[in-house]
Amino acid sequence: MGFLELLNKNLIKVPLENTSKNDVLEELVNMIAAEGKLNNKDLALQDVLNREILGSTGLERGIAVPHAKTAAVDDMVMAVGIAPKGIDFEALDGEPSSLFFMILASPNQAGAHIEVLSDIAKVTRSAAICRLMLAAVNAEEIIELFEE
Amino acid sequence: MKGPIKKILVYVDGSEESINASMYAIALSKSTGASVTALYVINTRALNDLVKARIFLQEEEVEYHQDLEQDAERYLNHVRKLAEQKKVDIETISKSGTIHREIKAEIKEKEFDLLILGGVSSIRSRRDEFFNETDRAMRSVTCPVLVVRDEDLVWDIFESS
Repeated sequence: MGFLELLNKNLIKVPLENTSKNDVLEELVNMIAAEGKLNNKDLALQDVLNREILGSTGLERGIAVPHAKTAAVDDMVMAVGIAPKGIDFEALDGEPSSLFFMILASPNQAGAHIEVLSDIAKVTRSAAICRLMLAAVNAEEIIELFEE
Repeated sequence: MKGPIKKILVYVDGSEESINASMYAIALSKSTGASVTALYVINTRALNDLVKARIFLQEEEVEYHQDLEQDAERYLNHVRKLAEQKKVDIETISKSGTIHREIKAEIKEKEFDLLILGGVSSIRSRRDEFFNETDRAMRSVTCPVLVVRDEDLVWDIFESS
């Protein structure tokens, strides 16, 4: 199961409503819960926050990949959020984060989890893709961008 | 042993599709007399890439590497049991590295004449980033490749073998 298989129009938010790190994480988890993909929303959020305590998943160039191995999901799920104005996510380069890819995987999906994170790393290497994602005005445009 | 197939390699990654591919390989081995080997590759390349991209912390790399080692043992054990059910001898190998390269190297080194895969990714994008490791193996190995589809058919073939 790769990035494309996980891309779901209902799990893409453009733009994100919140502007603080923890609120954005909660917004993404809520979106996943609303899609019926979580068996325990509180546990999912806690596992994501616990991972952030170890070190921010805000990377460089405005990209953030919050992720967690959690028993709150049976199957791996991905939510994508776009914050064109950027938010302070305590990123490694100190810059605001704009593109969020949240991955939640069950503890027995290590191989697939790594594969999807690796896909995200490859996709976000392209400055053009990142720019096009930031310019998207709705979820459909994000889907079209990757399926073209 | 007659026919073109004498040494079968089946790639196992723990997905349902790869388990189906293993069942098909075992049934094929039983009917042709070809030897069958199941290979699991711990994707250390992806782990390293995730650390380099700073998506993973060092401690996550260690944790996920252990998870993948356990997966390798679990899934290869499962395939061994499937082979035992059909009284087929199977060799199981666990390697580490870049998946498609390890598959390719194994085929070259041991001269397998058929690679069996559980599936390739659906065509939803032309972007190269989305060629997964199975796609890459299919495109780059030197021997014929058989992609197994239709789970129900595979079960029927396995049960009747």
